[in-house]
Amino acid sequence: MSEFEKEEKIKGALEAQFPGVVSNAAVQRKNRVWLDCAADKLPAVLDWMRGQGFDHLATVTGFDEGENLGAAYHMTDTHMIVTVKARTPRANPSLPSVLSIFPGALSYERELEDMFGIKVQGLPPGRRYPLDDDFPKDQYPLRKDWKFVPPADEVEAK
Amino acid sequence: MSKITIPLGPQHPALKEPENFMLVLEGEQISGATVNLGYNHRGMEKAAEERTYIQNLYLIERVCGICSHSHTTCYITNVEEIAKAETPKRALAIRALFGELERVHSHLLWLGVAAYEMGFETLFMYTWRDREQVLDCLEMLSGNRVHYSINTIGGVRRDISAEQKAEVLKRIAYLEERTKYYVKIGTEESTILARTQNVGKLPYDVAIQRGAVGPTARASGVARDVRKDEPYLIYNELDFKVITHDTCDVFGRLVVRVLELVESYKMIKQILNGLPEGPIAVKVPMRLPAGEAVNHYEAPRGEDIHYLKANGTDKPDRVKVRAPTMANLQSVAYMMEGGWLADAPLVIAAIDPCMSCTDRAAVWDPKKGKTTVYGWEELRKMGIEHYKRRGVDFSRL
Repeated sequence: MSEFEKEEKIKGALEAQFPGVVSNAAVQRKNRVWLDCAADKLPAVLDWMRGQGFDHLATVTGFDEGENLGAAYHMTDTHMIVTVKARTPRANPSLPSVLSIFPGALSYERELEDMFGIKVQGLPPGRRYPLDDDFPKDQYPLRKDWKFVPPADEVEAK
Repeated sequence: MSKITIPLGPQHPALKEPENFMLVLEGEQISGATVNLGYNHRGMEKAAEERTYIQNLYLIERVCGICSHSHTTCYITNVEEIAKAETPKRALAIRALFGELERVHSHLLWLGVAAYEMGFETLFMYTWRDREQVLDCLEMLSGNRVHYSINTIGGVRRDISAEQKAEVLKRIAYLEERTKYYVKIGTEESTILARTQNVGKLPYDVAIQRGAVGPTARASGVARDVRKDEPYLIYNELDFKVITHDTCDVFGRLVVRVLELVESYKMIKQILNGLPEGPIAVKVPMRLPAGEAVNHYEAPRGEDIHYLKANGTDKPDRVKVRAPTMANLQSVAYMMEGGWLADAPLVIAAIDPCMSCTDRAAVWDPKKGKTTVYGWEELRKMGIEHYKRRGVDFSRL
């Protein structure tokens, strides 16, 4: 406990503030905390954390776990990184947008839509990112079941 | 006055990462800007899932042509954390040395680019000539000028000899002398001040809100530097200052970078003079146990963050890379709003985008339905002429 006092404190505060929303919170090592969060409460958790000094959303990592898709929000006060994971069913993947809290997250959220097909509720209309305009709209390359199929007319370099 | 929207970018044949800015103009002033990215998505995160950890090292190195060492160091820190490898101290010191040499080369390159966009071509020639000194150091130590490939899982690939150390110190002494001149010219030369002061403003709270990182954030008074905040490698043993500036403009970004050069020279000397003895690498198994790790790194352009998930095989389950320019681009849109079109090249260059690649701008007049195409070169000339008419002239220097 004493070794990771700072980390245990933020973990405990999150669990106390959001009972039933935050689960599996764990201190991995110095300066690293991981936790799961109910998808619908994600903006509330991130907003509360911003008030605690975690005012930099470093990036958002999408992931595919088979039955569930999800996103990991890496929040930092520059000293500590707290990773908040939200999961959503593969059948109808959807996560709330956090743009009202972190306007800089625009391209991270577009990436979730493009690469994982997770619908981000509240994302303003705009050009897709990062895939090309003519890339098929129903294919999500970072999902595990997506495989690259070379074009039929591709010539192998000798 | 009618509003005109012009696209700036995205293609430039010579540079690697194109981007596009849609600028809404009222006369010569920019009233709105949006950033469009993704013109050079290379699918590296997907490709990384099909390669082994050691193969990925060489893939990740190619994320960027300038911060190549930053990305591999960040990636490898994750790999070694999951593998619980005890990387030797000497290897960590050599990594830090390369990190700082890379910063020097990157900041000198930026200073040259910024000078060029201003129309101060003499300074551009000077800084790029001096940058060769640090590239020579990197080539001597690693065998390569750009993709050094010094990192390997568990350590570094090459040791540093006493002769190499002496040679690097000699070149750093020369660069220190030259940088004194750059500090003087960057902070006192009236033409530079006229082009950079109050241009591309980014206030402190906007910098935080939009997630700005690196020199861009530090020039807005945000004292954030991963090297200080969460020291990695051997940075907790080095004596250096975090440089910040409070003018929140292009001038501040110039001052921060030039003064960071001085700090980097200090660190390079400290590392070389106190290089710990011992082996330079340990063996790490090919397969990594299941686990995940996230680490950040202060690249020349700011915080670089990598996430890695291992699943017990010799290939990663997920690799995520977020380079600093990505974090800074949302701030660029803010910086350009309310400024002159003539300042656009300099403001974009001032975040040191890893993709300063906006080649052509088509000006479309909705009334006449006419499109005029500006090349980056013409836009740059327009900026220089714009200021010449206002008495800012580098040609007399």
